Amino acid sequence: MSVFVIIYYFLLLGASCLAAYFNKRSAFLLLFSLTLVSFILGIVGGVSALRMVAIAAGLMALAAMVSYAFREFLIAIASVNMAKELRTAPLTAAFGMFVIFTVAIAGIFAPWIAPFGEAEVITAAFAPADETMLLGADQLGRDIFSRLVFGARNTVALALAGTVLAFLLGALAGLLAATTGGWFDQLLARSSDVIMSIPSLIFALLMLSIFGGELANDTTSFWLLSGFAVVTGMLVVTAMAGKSLIGWLIGLAILVGVAVLFSGFMLAIFNPSEIILILVVAVIYSPRVFRLTRAVAGNVVVMDYIEAAKLRGEKTWYLIRREILPNSTAPLVAEFGLEFCFVFLLIAGLSFLGLGIQPPTADWGSMVRENATLVSFGEITPLIPAAAIALLTVAVNFVVDWMLYRSSGLKV
Amino acid sequence: MIKKKDVLLKIRDLKIQGYSDETWVDIIKGVDLTLHRGEVMGLIGESGAGKSTIGAACMGYARDGTRIVDSSIEFDGMELTTATEADRRMLRGSRIAYVAQSAAASFNPAHKIIDQHTEAPLQYRLKKRLEAQEDAMELYEKLRLPNPQEIGFRYPHQVSGGQLQRAMTAMAMSCRPDLIIFDEPTTALDVTTQIEVLAAIRDIVDEYNTAAIYITHDLAVVAQMADTIKVLLKGEEVEEAPTKEMLDNPQEDYTKSLWAVRSFESPQRHRPTDGTPPLISVKNVDASYTGGEKVLDDVSFDIYEGMTVAVVGESGSGKSTTARVITGLLPPSKGEVLFKGEPFPQDYRSRTKDQLRQCQMIYQMADTALNPKVRISEIIGRPAAFYSGLKGVALKNRVDELLDLIELEPSQYYNRYPPELSGGQKQRIGIARALAAEPTFIVCDEVTSALDQLVAEGILRLLDRLQNELNLAYMFITHDLATVRSIADEVVVMQHGKVVEQGPKDDMFTPPHHPYTDLLLSSVPEMDPDWLTTLLEERGVDNVGDAATARIDPNDPKVSGTNA
Amino acid sequence: MGDILGLVAKRLGLGLIILLVISLIIFFMVELLPGDIAQAVLGQGATPENLAALRKEMGLDQPAIIRYLDWLAGAVTLDFGNSIVTGTSVAETIGTRFANTLFLATYAAAIAVPISIVLGVIVALLRNSIFDRVANVATLTSISSPEFFLGYILILYLAVKTGMFPAIASLSADMTFGELLHRTFLPALTLVLVVTAHMMRMTRAAIINLLASPYIEMARLKGTPPWKVIVRHALPNAWAPIINVVALNLAYLITGVVLVEVVFVYPGIGQALVDAVSKRDFPVVQACCLIFAATFILLNLAADVGAILTNPRLRHPK
Repeated sequence: MSVFVIIYYFLLLGASCLAAYFNKRSAFLLLFSLTLVSFILGIVGGVSALRMVAIAAGLMALAAMVSYAFREFLIAIASVNMAKELRTAPLTAAFGMFVIFTVAIAGIFAPWIAPFGEAEVITAAFAPADETMLLGADQLGRDIFSRLVFGARNTVALALAGTVLAFLLGALAGLLAATTGGWFDQLLARSSDVIMSIPSLIFALLMLSIFGGELANDTTSFWLLSGFAVVTGMLVVTAMAGKSLIGWLIGLAILVGVAVLFSGFMLAIFNPSEIILILVVAVIYSPRVFRLTRAVAGNVVVMDYIEAAKLRGEKTWYLIRREILPNSTAPLVAEFGLEFCFVFLLIAGLSFLGLGIQPPTADWGSMVRENATLVSFGEITPLIPAAAIALLTVAVNFVVDWMLYRSSGLKV
Repeated sequence: MIKKKDVLLKIRDLKIQGYSDETWVDIIKGVDLTLHRGEVMGLIGESGAGKSTIGAACMGYARDGTRIVDSSIEFDGMELTTATEADRRMLRGSRIAYVAQSAAASFNPAHKIIDQHTEAPLQYRLKKRLEAQEDAMELYEKLRLPNPQEIGFRYPHQVSGGQLQRAMTAMAMSCRPDLIIFDEPTTALDVTTQIEVLAAIRDIVDEYNTAAIYITHDLAVVAQMADTIKVLLKGEEVEEAPTKEMLDNPQEDYTKSLWAVRSFESPQRHRPTDGTPPLISVKNVDASYTGGEKVLDDVSFDIYEGMTVAVVGESGSGKSTTARVITGLLPPSKGEVLFKGEPFPQDYRSRTKDQLRQCQMIYQMADTALNPKVRISEIIGRPAAFYSGLKGVALKNRVDELLDLIELEPSQYYNRYPPELSGGQKQRIGIARALAAEPTFIVCDEVTSALDQLVAEGILRLLDRLQNELNLAYMFITHDLATVRSIADEVVVMQHGKVVEQGPKDDMFTPPHHPYTDLLLSSVPEMDPDWLTTLLEERGVDNVGDAATARIDPNDPKVSGTNA
Repeated sequence: MGDILGLVAKRLGLGLIILLVISLIIFFMVELLPGDIAQAVLGQGATPENLAALRKEMGLDQPAIIRYLDWLAGAVTLDFGNSIVTGTSVAETIGTRFANTLFLATYAAAIAVPISIVLGVIVALLRNSIFDRVANVATLTSISSPEFFLGYILILYLAVKTGMFPAIASLSADMTFGELLHRTFLPALTLVLVVTAHMMRMTRAAIINLLASPYIEMARLKGTPPWKVIVRHALPNAWAPIINVVALNLAYLITGVVLVEVVFVYPGIGQALVDAVSKRDFPVVQACCLIFAATFILLNLAADVGAILTNPRLRHPK
């Protein structure tokens, strides 16, 4: 019996007894079941297993403290209403917000934070960590820490762009379908059914196998982007113009201009293969967004105030903008978070398979792939970018979980 | 009369809290209750008074998200708040039983009715399965269910609502409990069905001398059922007295306001005789929802300018569908709607702005009729801006004027949101929104049925005043005959999508009638505690409810004659 | 019973139509390529004569609709043509791989389904307790982790550091069944971790939803003991949601399997698909996509049919 083990059990049992004495039922249950689990773990895994439990507990305590402090910080700087809302956030949600905040800072200020360039080869392959390289070097001798920071920018920006596009198309279509109903609704619902019957990763692979090669050039991606923008914009024009022919003509003219501007803007930021990836993701996820939005808006559309507005002769766009959207923002925001998680995991998965973001751009998914061989030597280096992916997704999920709980709780 | 016997249930200082917004809030704030063996107590109050919560507490049961604090609930000498959960459970079903509001939702869809019936007797080992089934059939017979031998072997969804409610009462009786909690057992039923269930419940409770707590919001119903009445308001007791005393001589102001028989009655108006065409004329309309059966069958009636036509009938009679046809939400499959003698486009989408403006609607549920995320100023201002193109100061003045018209202080309500208002205030905003369009005709769809008595009367008075000032015509959809009495000029009675009878109000309330009108009129409970007894004596036990509806002879001259 | 058969037949028909539409998408998407497959096979430097010859050989001189019908007729008889990289029959290449993938998915499902349903019900019964919250955080974490993260953690700790299981799930024909289970334990465990989390959360939600029904309260107010409330009153109505949860997650397994196969170098269809995509071997890509989509649709179909068959309202019509 080492001193560590004795202290370990002493602390756990002592805390359990204290919790029981002060009638903290849930704390007691947690602590005591941890004690029981430790007995088994100690027998099976020995001291090292217990040490890991202790380290994990320490890390969790640290995370809890950070989250608590961060929540108090947010409450202090937020407006009165926001602060009231934030007080209801559990520590997990505060932790989520903290991680999102950190990743955002890392992504935005990547060139200033990272000590080395994104693709800068500075030393030998797989060089170990030292003072200048916090996490060592990768298979080409690039600084892993710097690539991690740049990866935050690249991966998240791409996932965000994909989610935003999927959301614009899906949510607009969903709102329009729920409001107008009829054959338009049926048509969209059936086509989304079909797209959703292909597993997302498989569909992504299929599309990438076709658009991934020589088609990933400036012209093609420009046309595809414009096409996507026009389809999305058509939904807005339909809702706004109604039956007026002039409305349609003006709407279409503006739409084409906006689509071209948008495509040019996107091409300035992303390279063609990234744009293909964004579009693939948007096409795959917009039916999912469509279905959820239609369900959310469907609950609002049956309300009498919508009927009153329809009978008044209001146009579809007014119904969507003034009557339906204000009543569906909470679930839609939560949905955006959820979709972001899916998109982010899909892009990470594709990059891991070598079919997503192409080298030498730093990206978390491909970093795992590039350094995967190190795992067989017992190194945890390839796990770090993978852990970063998991951490950000968990963080977003924690925040979404809280928001869903809030929005469902307020309804009851 | 009260049967003074042993005390069965004694509740002292009942406090129940509910969890909302991270804190515990008091729902029931210290209610006392004493119930003797064989006594029936009526718990009455508006929605949110906590009646149902008290009902569950009588079984020592707190629903999810609520808790009972610092109270004493003593059932037949046993303190329920300190008893173990197992002990409390042993009482439920065997000595205290429960009858829920919606029998359709409270029967498990996966099991036969009789299997659910026999569950408690088998659980407590009171009877063998076959004995229990025999007993169930006997109870079904007593409760006048059709085919008592066979009905139990059906699944809940195969049986109608009124029958299911009686089957649930039978189930509550299965262990011959000392106490049954009836939680609004007839609220979801139509008036003609309600009578059957009321009569059945009353007879069986009498026969086995069971004590009961009867929870309802309907005074006339509770007057038939209870020996004593306890009035509740927002989780507190207002007063308690024997039924007769309570009806004749209520003490508290709140009770008096509940008891006040609707005093308001607008004078009867008559059709113009100078030959002006009716404002709205529904001509031989058939309608059905997509792919469904015909919901309206040859419906015709006229509404003249400045008059109120009440359309009455039970759920499924086609009242609301008629309104949807008039407003253009549901184009008819046959027939037409005329506006001032001119055909009205069938679909609201093909109507002009002015045609849409003429015909407005006020809804039953003010909660769903007003967008919770839009300010009052915009809810009322939007139609004014939309139809009349008002802007800026002119718009604000118009909104102020409208708020004045519905008796709400403009400066106080201008910037508020609907969830901050009470039910009656919301309904007034709904009226103001309709008025903002400056219509000539308004459809009022059950506008008072979700409101409490007093508030409802205020709304009716307001509508009548507005009608006189602005020369409006109303189509008043309702199932409540008291409302018909107070506001209607003409009445249209509907059943199964057909108009069975129509005429001026005064004629409609003096017999003889079409048998269905007769049945409908006689089925509405009255405040007189002897009403049910008298009615059953007059009509006979088997000539009420569904049985009576089925019995209407299609060849009766009154039936075939009226619609011609 | 006529109603049920009608509904099931209708649902089957719908599934068939969706599958047909998907086969159209899969086939004609490849047609979008500039040039054609022949060009893709031979590359930029191909002479026109070679191209023409290959086109003739592959039937590319036919109109697209004829080729689609040919391809579809082949697919129905499990003949997906030849790979354009190796030239061997696609069906032969992916046949055994598909069996391997099915084995892995079944292995994972056999562990995950019972565990997650039992845990889901337990957590639903203990809702709002500390265990529920811990389970919530744990399952959220598991769902949020990419499959390759979980896979590499397992490799690092269970294979490299302790050597309990092999890191690479290679298969050979002469393995005993026990050996097979041992070899493929890590990939199966990775799938189990992800799917269990999903399934637990869905089961929990379904059960909680059910426990809020009035007939459950009625059962409690009849004095029915808690276990009987669950077994007699909740469970018979829970089949439909549970079947739905299981089918959805089995369908999810199919997608997850691609990444896991790559991590563990498992010879399944997922890896074949990834290889084919990077080599642009279109017949293989098309075949794999069609197989995945068909399985996915089949599982969803099974869920819907299961829900129809267990619905008491449909089983005992009026």
